[in-house]
Amino acid sequence: MKDMSRRSFGRLVKACAVAGLAVASLGATMEPATAFERVDGGKVLVIAGRQPVSTLDPSVKYNASIRSLQQALYDALVKYDGNPPQVKPWLAESWEQSDDGKTWIFKLVKGAKFHSGNPVNAEAIKYSFTRTLELNKGPSWMLSDFLKPEGIVVVDDHTVQFNLEKPYAAFLSFLPWWYIMDPAVVGAHVEGDDYGQKWLTENEAGSGPYKLKRFDQGTLYEVERVKDYWKGDGGSNIEGIVYKLIRETSAQRAALMRGEADIVLDLSPDEFDQVAKAKGIKTSTEPALTAFGLKFNTKGKYMSDKNLRKAVAHAFDYDSLVAIFNGKAVLQTSPFTDDIKGKIDVPGIPRHDVEKAKEYLAKSQWPEGGIELEYVYVQGLEVERLMGLVLIDNLKPLNITLKMVPLTWPNLVARGSKPETAADLMAIFATPVSVDPDAVAYQYHPDSWGKYYGTHFYDNPKVTELIEKARYTTDWEERAPMYAEIQKLIVEDQPEIFGMMRKRLVAYRDYVTGFSYTPVRMTSEVDYYGLGIGK
Amino acid sequence: MLQMIGKRSILMLGMLLGLLVITFSISHIAPGDPAALAAGPDATQEMIDQVREEYGFDKPLVEQFVIYVGGIFEGDLGRSVYTTRPVAQDLMVYFPATLELVIYSILFAIILGVPMGVISAVKQNGWVDNLVRFVSSSGVGLPMFWLGLMLQLYFGLQLGWFPLGGRLDLMTDPPTTITGMYTIDALLTLKFNVFFEALHHMVLPAIALSFPALASIVRVNRAEMIETLSLDYMTNARAQGISKFRMIAAYALKNAMLPTLAIIGLRFGWMLGGTVLIESVFDWPGVGLYALQAVTASDFEPVMAVTLILGAWFMLTNFLIDIIYGILDPRVRGRA
Repeated sequence: MKDMSRRSFGRLVKACAVAGLAVASLGATMEPATAFERVDGGKVLVIAGRQPVSTLDPSVKYNASIRSLQQALYDALVKYDGNPPQVKPWLAESWEQSDDGKTWIFKLVKGAKFHSGNPVNAEAIKYSFTRTLELNKGPSWMLSDFLKPEGIVVVDDHTVQFNLEKPYAAFLSFLPWWYIMDPAVVGAHVEGDDYGQKWLTENEAGSGPYKLKRFDQGTLYEVERVKDYWKGDGGSNIEGIVYKLIRETSAQRAALMRGEADIVLDLSPDEFDQVAKAKGIKTSTEPALTAFGLKFNTKGKYMSDKNLRKAVAHAFDYDSLVAIFNGKAVLQTSPFTDDIKGKIDVPGIPRHDVEKAKEYLAKSQWPEGGIELEYVYVQGLEVERLMGLVLIDNLKPLNITLKMVPLTWPNLVARGSKPETAADLMAIFATPVSVDPDAVAYQYHPDSWGKYYGTHFYDNPKVTELIEKARYTTDWEERAPMYAEIQKLIVEDQPEIFGMMRKRLVAYRDYVTGFSYTPVRMTSEVDYYGLGIGK
Repeated sequence: MLQMIGKRSILMLGMLLGLLVITFSISHIAPGDPAALAAGPDATQEMIDQVREEYGFDKPLVEQFVIYVGGIFEGDLGRSVYTTRPVAQDLMVYFPATLELVIYSILFAIILGVPMGVISAVKQNGWVDNLVRFVSSSGVGLPMFWLGLMLQLYFGLQLGWFPLGGRLDLMTDPPTTITGMYTIDALLTLKFNVFFEALHHMVLPAIALSFPALASIVRVNRAEMIETLSLDYMTNARAQGISKFRMIAAYALKNAMLPTLAIIGLRFGWMLGGTVLIESVFDWPGVGLYALQAVTASDFEPVMAVTLILGAWFMLTNFLIDIIYGILDPRVRGRA
């Protein structure tokens, strides 16, 4: 019997070797089998991502995959474009703002029409903004403190006026996410008092460059290009786009190599490097607004001690952060990520310096260390786990130990909601929704406490006052110095370890044309407008 | 026999209720706040409260439970906060996909596993036996997830023999929904090209899913066969000159099948719960993926519904196995 098992073991080894060889040879022999999909001679582009689209309703929800489709099906008054991101005219061809910053007047383009054939007019703008505000879901929070439905005035068919309750400097920067719906089509599908929500979950009433063809929940979503799109084709030559769900990143890689997907969104840094070398594949590595930081609980037992926070921040090996992302990340030089308007390089932002860390520790309540800190991160996010391992190593010289606690996202958010339950350190990725500095600064306002990016419970009345003052000031010349001051003050208080900005990794077949990128988009969010196939 | 079926049915209802209480309690003790997650990361407190009210999460727990159980009897399994759709409606789409995959997997495991066990026992310690034993021990040892990925990489990507995932090609419209199982619906609507396409997509995930079941069926069947073949009545049968085939197929296999049947039943139940890994490798839009998505969003009504259905499924298969057992083995009937 013993003899037998040894023989079996030998076979197992052999089988493993064969499997290993097979896998190793994959890179060399892979050729795309099919390239892009064709339907009736037309070309259809396939984008693979892992996040399902739970709803299409622009008033109800947004995330990376939802917004990719909303952006394809709907238009907004303005649109983010370019790098650094800028707000460009879209349904609005021009706009003006009153001197007190409270009145905004938008002139609409003529000739824009919904997929139903109805014209996009001022009435539709008023209806769409009102719907989002009244449902009070999704993007509503962006403007609900400043804009009431009564404040939206139809001046004439192509002019709409917004009367804000108080001036709001960031107003324009949020408008790209407020999509315009066809009042007639939505109105025809209202059930009870649902404002058409049920129907708009899997249907659309937009004017965007694509219309919805298939909504196959959990499998794929297909859009068909509008041939006479009012804004022109943007260089596109395809029939449509399929957004297909491929949940495993290794399967996404395989689909790209085989040509079953033309663009893939969620490769790991290692997989990305592998496909980047393959023939026929192009990659895009772009900076993003997303910041990764380790938030301290500044109201917690240990981390309320500023010197301890500074000690940990100086003990942290920042270069390893970049290494974990195979170099595809840039360190933060301010609480604001690059491309945020008014961002400055804050002098003296901590870098790895053990001597300094020890100096700060000596000034803290635990000069000898001897404490255990808790590090909470998202279960299954390998990069965050690696970060914890690095930190364990980094904290050894300070005689501080680290307890790593992986949690699912809902549980992590729940723990971070109160200072009593928030961990000493929480690993958080945060993408601001706008490039206006208020969007980031407000993360350090008491109103943000308990939200996933506010688990620091940071409390500095001077900063709070400055944030509030700056958001109601309309003159940029006045605002800019305020934000410089805010950044310096936050760095001085060290409510978190300011980490890095991870780059967006998107890989696509080399025949894909018109792939454009703007850093304000979320990880895995793609703008479908102008995408084409050049073969 | 009837008495046994009656007793077991009542017991099953009780167990399902218990299961419901447990899952309900666990999901409400869990710290995640579904309303906050549904409202979005930037939502104001007012927006979160509004969602909480819309879904009735603001009501006392006991009331929520009563409403939930009451709903079940009307076929209402609650509403998913994540997809915003009724759970029953979601499951109508996802459950048949999983069931179809599991049925093909278990059939594959039985059709291959039983003969393999028999041959292996008859040719004990021969090369066939060694090979079978190697396959079956690796089936128990290999993680299903890894096997799925390897099959996908080798037969899907490298050789290009099979699709990488999904239930149908990208541009194929699914057959008209009758059972929700594509192969069956395609046959019923006479769309043979869709049938073969669906079958083609089934091969890799079904093999990967069936492997652990195949392995245990082979092992149990082999062991039972070896034991049965060594019994006196087999020697007697041989002495009477009964043909070897008849001896093995009719006499030995029938007795050896009892424990094998138990394993098949257990595996059939487990498979349904264990599809989540295979479903995520092959992007098979089934209940496993649905439950996973619900768990990661603290979306507990779908989680409860899936648990309930899987629980009922597990009990039902065991129940059926018990009945078949009773038919095959008269001694069991009295022991109900």
